[in-house]
Amino acid sequence: MKITVDAIELAVFQSAVHSIAEEMGAALRRTAISPNIKERRDYSCAIFDGEGRVIAMGDHMPVHLGSMPLSVQAAIEAIAFAPGDIAILNDPYAGGTHLPDITMVLPVFAATHTHPVFYVASRAHHADVGGTFAGSMGPAREIFQEGIRIPPVRIVRGGKVDQEILDLILLNVRTPLERRGDLDAQIGACRVGEMRALELAERYGEGNLRVLIDELLDYSERLVRAELRTMAAGSFHAEDWLDDDGVTDTPCRIAVELRFDPHAGSVVIDFAGSSLQVEGSINAVRAITTSACFYVLRCLLAEDAPATAGILRPLTLITPAGSIVDARPPAAVAGGNVETSQRMVDALLRALAQAAPSRVPAASAGTMSNLTIGGVDPRTGEPFTYYETAAGGMGARPRLDGISGVQTHMTNSLNTPIEALEYAYPFRVRRYAYRDGSGGAGEFCGGDGLVREVELLTDAEVTLLADRRKTRPYGLNGGEDGAPGRASITNAAGVEVELPGKCSRRVAAGSVLRIETPGGGGWGAKPQQLQNPNSSDAPAPSSQRHP
Amino acid sequence: MGWPGIPSGRDSTIREPNDLRVAIDTGGTFTDCVYLDDGELRVLKLFSTPGDPSLAVLDALNKIGAGRSIHVRHGTTAGTNAMLERKGARVAFVTTAGFEDTIAIGRQTRQRLYDWFAPIPICLVPRELRFGVPERVSAEGAILCSPTDHELAILAEQVRASGAQSIAISLLFSFANPETEQRVEAALRCLGLPISTSHRILPEFREYERASTTVVNAYLAPLIQTYLLHLEERVGAQHAGGRVDVMQSSGGIVSARVAAQEPVRTVLSGPAGGVIGAWQMARIAGFEKIIGFDMGGTSTDVFLADAGTAGARLTRESVVAGVPISVPMLEIHTAGAGGGSIARFDAGGMLRVGPESAGAEPGPICFGRGTQATVTDANLLLGRLDADSFLGGSVSLDRQRAEEMLRAQKGSLATAEEFAAGIIRVVETQMEKAIRVISVEQGHDPRHFTLVAFGGGGPLHACSLARALRISRVMIPAMPGALSAAGMLFADTVRDYSQTVMLSGEALATLDPIYAEMEQRAIADFRAEGLHGSAERTADLRYRGQGYELNVPYDSHAVHGTLQTFHHQHQQRYGFSDVARPVEIVNLRLRMIAAAEPYTPAQRELIAGDGSAACYAKRAVFFDRRILPSRFYRRDALLPGDRIAGPAMITEYTSATALPPGCMALVDGYSNLVITVNEGTGE
Repeated sequence: MKITVDAIELAVFQSAVHSIAEEMGAALRRTAISPNIKERRDYSCAIFDGEGRVIAMGDHMPVHLGSMPLSVQAAIEAIAFAPGDIAILNDPYAGGTHLPDITMVLPVFAATHTHPVFYVASRAHHADVGGTFAGSMGPAREIFQEGIRIPPVRIVRGGKVDQEILDLILLNVRTPLERRGDLDAQIGACRVGEMRALELAERYGEGNLRVLIDELLDYSERLVRAELRTMAAGSFHAEDWLDDDGVTDTPCRIAVELRFDPHAGSVVIDFAGSSLQVEGSINAVRAITTSACFYVLRCLLAEDAPATAGILRPLTLITPAGSIVDARPPAAVAGGNVETSQRMVDALLRALAQAAPSRVPAASAGTMSNLTIGGVDPRTGEPFTYYETAAGGMGARPRLDGISGVQTHMTNSLNTPIEALEYAYPFRVRRYAYRDGSGGAGEFCGGDGLVREVELLTDAEVTLLADRRKTRPYGLNGGEDGAPGRASITNAAGVEVELPGKCSRRVAAGSVLRIETPGGGGWGAKPQQLQNPNSSDAPAPSSQRHP
Repeated sequence: MGWPGIPSGRDSTIREPNDLRVAIDTGGTFTDCVYLDDGELRVLKLFSTPGDPSLAVLDALNKIGAGRSIHVRHGTTAGTNAMLERKGARVAFVTTAGFEDTIAIGRQTRQRLYDWFAPIPICLVPRELRFGVPERVSAEGAILCSPTDHELAILAEQVRASGAQSIAISLLFSFANPETEQRVEAALRCLGLPISTSHRILPEFREYERASTTVVNAYLAPLIQTYLLHLEERVGAQHAGGRVDVMQSSGGIVSARVAAQEPVRTVLSGPAGGVIGAWQMARIAGFEKIIGFDMGGTSTDVFLADAGTAGARLTRESVVAGVPISVPMLEIHTAGAGGGSIARFDAGGMLRVGPESAGAEPGPICFGRGTQATVTDANLLLGRLDADSFLGGSVSLDRQRAEEMLRAQKGSLATAEEFAAGIIRVVETQMEKAIRVISVEQGHDPRHFTLVAFGGGGPLHACSLARALRISRVMIPAMPGALSAAGMLFADTVRDYSQTVMLSGEALATLDPIYAEMEQRAIADFRAEGLHGSAERTADLRYRGQGYELNVPYDSHAVHGTLQTFHHQHQQRYGFSDVARPVEIVNLRLRMIAAAEPYTPAQRELIAGDGSAACYAKRAVFFDRRILPSRFYRRDALLPGDRIAGPAMITEYTSATALPPGCMALVDGYSNLVITVNEGTGE
């Protein structure tokens, strides 16, 4: 049966492949053990064609968008796959992003083929992969301190788990039982994807599949090009800064130039001029930079547009080798994923705002305010490691205030309920509130950040990985900048000490840690009377979603 | 947990023998009334009276039960509508000082991942109505700090000055020690406003979800109290001794008086009736595993029920109109596509259907005012709707108008029919996806289930959907237009109680006193209604460190069995279990049930027939990419034992069943259509 691809076949096929990615994600969420995967949903699943081009991805973590395909490419290059194999990898310098993100890749062989017709992949952020700091997200200076590095290798061969490889990995992490469970869940998710992909292959046949996949990728490309054709011709340059790398005080520059060709519906994104890679852990590999660009292009489309390899076709990405946006070994990279990725988006949007001022919001908080606390729980005598990110203010939008206290851009993970937190850890939360007045003023106001105060009921090691202390989230079109972030510790005697954005400290029981996250930038010049910036209260003006 | 209506050995409610039992479900368009008259189930359909929904209810009662003592069970959309339209009360939210904003912060996530222009969510409590109390209770329930009487007096004054119409109190860890919450409540009682307290509404941990549930209760309380108590009063005035009960979102019945106090439990009253109705009809017909498929105008509800695992599933993680509600509700998954969904080609040239809907105004093209192609227009164009009998002929369908406009909007497709067929395929793909979410994604194979289709659009799409999912049997229940009311009529009376305890698994054998306390409260509550029920105990368990729980039956004399069930369920649902791992007891739950009077409709004898007496037309209908001559049958003229082979259409007042070639429908002894679906001719 030969089909001609029309608008209907395309819609049916797109739905089918997307539901494979969704079903893999559901299986992973269901079977994983650690809260970071189950509750905070820090994972992604995707399906790729026989050439490793992504054709569908579950909508979970934007930071995984552009980087998953590179994992699959790396696995294909490194391994001569046979049926029943599954590859595992996390090395940022061979298809990974940062070490806690472990990706598995399964080639799908249809009955009579010697070549995979699909690949499926699952990625999850593991709560610990070894290294100097519990949680593997600390202020390291080279990648060797950040945990175990896994190049693309086979964790499953011919359908059987390679126990030797697994043992090697588990011996290098702090919580091997939990890791084992989460890795099993990833294998399971890949097998769910394999089963469904085989059904699809059987239903359509290889010839038809190829036609449909090509059409699906062309379709994504058309969507992006249609948007790019509406952009102003020319080049638009912007820069933004990370405060420092946590080792020295030197600010790190993210520079970007967008060169639009509306006639071709294409764009060149050039990060020339960005800082050289740094001593601290905020270096990003190119996969992260690709994700940031993918995210921005994806946001130009409708909310439900499929994320496929076609989206990146109109893009030419230029990253200087050995820079903070294209780091080389042995640079430490844990924070590149969570902090530098956000700043790249800030720089990209600042440039985009020049080309399409009515379509771009002011800067959002721009930091995930990563907090790790480790110690021994006096109630049980057992060690604990707590990790959480805190939301901030969303930048104001043209004709719309920013939202207060909400995850923006490259992340969307949930908070841990206070009552769950106090059951699980020796903490007492003192305050969790909007940080009034932190959103930048303007015709439309930036969303406010959050304030969180946590009293430590035991001595503990507190590690902070946050930014936007010096360079504030920018306003646009005359709107004011959002307030910078801040953190401090007040000891039992009432003495308050301010903390730098990136640090690790021993803190005594009875101390109160206070974190204030940045507000979003404002949009448009402030009218005579200052508006109440707390956006969640006011009735929302109607959405001005484009197009 | 047993599910209602099905004959059971439980004690039944105390009721006068000559009561007329009536269930009335208020919907957007129709008010459906189902009642038992001399053992015979009867249906009355009236147009709803949106201005004052009780008018249609009273009207129905007059028509069927003049002069008789009446026992009414009611399903209402008043709560859902108030939430969707944000037209509830001005609620004062009182919480622990320092946490006033948590009701707005929620879980700090955004709803739309890639939309820079997402609207700002509207919190049910505006900021000037959030109040902090200087107090703190620890996770262990110790009072670390409590407000002075003076501070409480100031609070009362502030709340009074705020102009609040209703009060929600939710303090941190109030479920572990409610003392402070009770003091705050006592201090605010002088204001004469309805008060909702979190340790009564939902004594469970996770502060945001508990507060949100409590706030919804307060938000709806004034409105629902007025509505239900007036309704009961007027029913009583017309029918001496008349009484009103209300369907809860959990699928159980509760008295109007209780529903008025806890309106948060009734927000999905109508849909819950549909689930229970479909499940009951399927059980009676002999089907133990069903997937329900209710396709309406703007959206489609799907759900799963399995007799082997406690019937229709409950969830405690519902979100209604963007607001989390954690009291138990039947698990219903909603897809944003229905008969009114609009079809269009996007910028990349792909055909999309929904989520935009033509709604009632302007409605589909064929209704005369709409200008954008909808699923209903596509069905009409393909011959799958009977233009003359649609809604009993009360709405005339303009086929020509639909054809002209679809032709104009067909894009690069060859014909209007091809466009229409495409719309149907795409919307069915979305339905298929919705069903996969509740089945495959939860570890159930849809091939083991019967697809039970109802609602205006369900029967039109059920057979081709079943083929796509490789489901071999479809059931279109009798009375598909009044299933929800029927479900209410035969539902059990149920109240749910819960308590977070957060204890180590070793304490499992020592929980009797806590359950006993809950049970005493439950018995007293039932006695106040003149009811006698039986209690079911369950516990939410998890492996220590996990962030989610599994609900398992609890028996203090067999706690080992409870643990085994937990490990077993964990293995089944999550693919692994570990008996060596420490278990944590999170919540205790008690469900008090007074079973409804058993009802089994008389099964009529099957007399083999071909339904030819019910056949009223032969027309061209589009099936599987072909136009086929098809017989049209009137469903109400079919008889038990009739067998009809596709291609055919079976039409009725509120719906039509499309029977593709290769499908065979049998009218069973209860007047259900039971359809055998053979593997299709394929793509």
